[in-house]
Amino acid sequence: MSLKKLTTISADRVTEDDIERKLYSRDLAFVPPIMVKPFFQTLPDAIIRPGNAEQVADVLRQATNENIPVTPRAAASTSYYNSVPVHGGWVLDMNDLRDGIEVDTVQQTVRVLPATTWFDLDDALQQKGFAAKSYPSSAISATVGGWVSMQGQGIGSLRYGGVGDQLVNLQVSMPLVRGELRTITRRSDPPLDWFVATEGTLGVITRVELSIRPRPAAESHHLFAFDDLNILSQNVASLACAEPRPFTIFFADSGYLRLMERAGFDIPLELPQPAFPVSNKGVLLVSFQGESSEVTNGREKLLHTAGKELSSDLALDEWNQRLHHLRTKRAGPSLLAAEVWLPLKELSHYLTSVKNLAERSRLLIGTYGFVVAPDTTLVMSLYPTDERRTVKYLAAIGFTKRLHDLAARYGGRPYGVGLWNTAYLPRLFSRSQLAELKRRKALLDPSGIMNPGKVYQAPFPLWPITFGPGATMLGALHLSLGKDRS
Amino acid sequence: MKDNVFFKGLMAEATICSYCGYCRSVCPTYEGVGWESCSPRGRLHLIRMLLEGTTLTADQMKRLYQCTLCGHCTQVCSTRIDLRQFWLEARKQTVLRKLSPPEFSTTLDNITKTGNIYNYQNDERAGWVEYMDDPPDDLYQRDRAEVVYFVGCLSSFSPRTQRIAESFVHVLNAAGVDFTILGEGEVCCGYPLLAAGMHDEAQKVIEQNLERVRATGATTIVFNCPACRVMWLEEYARHLPGVRMLHSTEMLANLTADQKLPMKEVNRIVTYHDPCDLGRNGGVYNAPREALAAIPGLQFVEVHERRERALCCGGGGDLEMIDTALCGHVAAQTVKKLAATGAQTIVTACPQCVRMLTRGKEQTAPDVSVKDILELVAEIMDRPLKKSQDEAVQKCPDARHPKF
Repeated sequence: MSLKKLTTISADRVTEDDIERKLYSRDLAFVPPIMVKPFFQTLPDAIIRPGNAEQVADVLRQATNENIPVTPRAAASTSYYNSVPVHGGWVLDMNDLRDGIEVDTVQQTVRVLPATTWFDLDDALQQKGFAAKSYPSSAISATVGGWVSMQGQGIGSLRYGGVGDQLVNLQVSMPLVRGELRTITRRSDPPLDWFVATEGTLGVITRVELSIRPRPAAESHHLFAFDDLNILSQNVASLACAEPRPFTIFFADSGYLRLMERAGFDIPLELPQPAFPVSNKGVLLVSFQGESSEVTNGREKLLHTAGKELSSDLALDEWNQRLHHLRTKRAGPSLLAAEVWLPLKELSHYLTSVKNLAERSRLLIGTYGFVVAPDTTLVMSLYPTDERRTVKYLAAIGFTKRLHDLAARYGGRPYGVGLWNTAYLPRLFSRSQLAELKRRKALLDPSGIMNPGKVYQAPFPLWPITFGPGATMLGALHLSLGKDRS
Repeated sequence: MKDNVFFKGLMAEATICSYCGYCRSVCPTYEGVGWESCSPRGRLHLIRMLLEGTTLTADQMKRLYQCTLCGHCTQVCSTRIDLRQFWLEARKQTVLRKLSPPEFSTTLDNITKTGNIYNYQNDERAGWVEYMDDPPDDLYQRDRAEVVYFVGCLSSFSPRTQRIAESFVHVLNAAGVDFTILGEGEVCCGYPLLAAGMHDEAQKVIEQNLERVRATGATTIVFNCPACRVMWLEEYARHLPGVRMLHSTEMLANLTADQKLPMKEVNRIVTYHDPCDLGRNGGVYNAPREALAAIPGLQFVEVHERRERALCCGGGGDLEMIDTALCGHVAAQTVKKLAATGAQTIVTACPQCVRMLTRGKEQTAPDVSVKDILELVAEIMDRPLKKSQDEAVQKCPDARHPKF
């Protein structure tokens, strides 16, 4: 492979070092080699760290010429191998394309380089009197380009929509035009929407322009304790439609609070001991941001909330921890999860079913979520395990299917695709949707060099015929091995 | 200071690490190097590989030491790992496995042979006192005193930072504090050894210093070097029950609050750089700000990256011994942010920060001056400290070039 032909990129921006390549062959979730090595080439052949958009274009030109797979990667803070190569090739470490923040105060938009983290973007905007409209719950590492490439729903989405709604334009280097940089708008051909949530399979985003909001003049946070998950769910659903619309709504069940407690952290309410039967308790955080009057009006809406309002200090603590849900991993030392989109009207059924599953099987499962639209919530169901015990861990991985199946019963579908969630493609897309996505892929990346193996088609180990029985069997094993002994 | 962070052992914490990359976003050396192996999460996984038996090359091993121990990664860690503790423990393991870089052996030799990091004769440790105006006959080395001023290697020997020691003594005298320095009885606090993973060797210097301090009957030990203070708090304090350990800024804040240091008005725009070992790792944020607020006429501008989010000067964690160019890069990036406040002077409270920021400003902000807060205060007191550093250095030419 012709790394030497990358004329614009200096040698210190390229590495073929064994250990370095190994570090680029994983993301958030540890996956045992037995599940990976026989099927996928996750070790990249080289890692290239472009310093600007022109260098990205150079890499894509060369990769297109020689049919070399290219996997764009920034924080790699997802867990479905979205930015891990599965066919080797080059990993494009985008992290040097960061900052470059230009605010248009009149249009209320910002141009930003794609590897800028959401935390840094919002921080810079706040200093200039503005704020990001929404951001992921992993904002400290998650990048702007990365979130555009993923599903882009998180904190603030309830009030301002997902990142796709906020996009003004993208600059993209595309294999179709041999890496050339193109500005993509809602009216361009191809249009902007094509590049949202396509996980770097159509091109590499080299600049993002998106709408922003004035820095909120006021904010208030309110934490409620509930003794009944049904009532909590009803309150979540009604508040999600309330006007003024909350900036965000966060909820968690007793399993999540117990995980947090086991991890060594204070929780805002007392849980019964022992852990089983599973408590029906939960908490709800409602946050308003905006003009003072809006926040005041929002606060008045909460007078009808059925739960017991906890102190403002506890509410502020919970808000301040909104980017730190992974603290629960200390209860592991490993943690696996199923993250799903869920119709809000089914939240009560889902939470109750997870609680029943946990109780029946004596498993510790914690669920929390952020409401991202008046009718939709993101839900994350977590359970502790230990990656150092291979059999136990493999069984635990299989158990995610059980949770995904449970969510599917209530209209839920996985959040993000990457490699591992291709197993659920029929749940993610209708036949016609998938056909359209494949048409776009064939059109824009005819050689299939961009992040191959992701999104569009399940590889053999993840075919329904292989994945379904395998995961079900392992999941059943987890029900016996994963029992909570406390 | 450490707030709700955990350390249960290297393998346990390496397993708990979520690989989320929060640490990467704030790491000053990752920013400079750019490869995943130099990010805290990458470094952590290198250590895990090492513990699991992977052989690393010298270049790969070097990554483990391209770290200033600034503690910013601990501050943001999503699984609340005490990463600073993790790095220190990892370095200890590399020593036990005889894998630590050869550069550290120089430090060990220097401290073992001479009692200081510079390899000077330790009886020169209080040489700077002789160049002050009218030093007393005892050269501030008294048998008994309420307060021990532990000067530290940098302020004792480095020409750029000896002025800080002179300034502090000037302040202590003006305020009428009953203090002593330890002179050649003081040896390196041991922090550079601990940062190199050499715990056994650190223990020896700890014992020497403890013996000397006990003999003075002091109830307070004061440090102008935050790394010395952290070292004493973490490794000495349990052996000295009832003895207070203060940073000079804490004493300064008290003295200015009690109006014991009359100062002239100063017309200068100043910003403050929080040293990592004073702020994040030492828990002192307010005292230096209170002392600055007491200076008449001073215009204080805060840099955005301050307190828990302060940037690193690049000089911690023994990085200067391993990768001096990376130190310089980190220092330059930090000065750039500090200078962007419009300040004429960057004030800090650490001799190593003074050294590094002085180096960093040459590339990015040559017109900005860098001072320790003690230097600033000593300059503007009603009876200011007179001699300039250059004069002192001329009298002590062999102190011009540190030997590590």
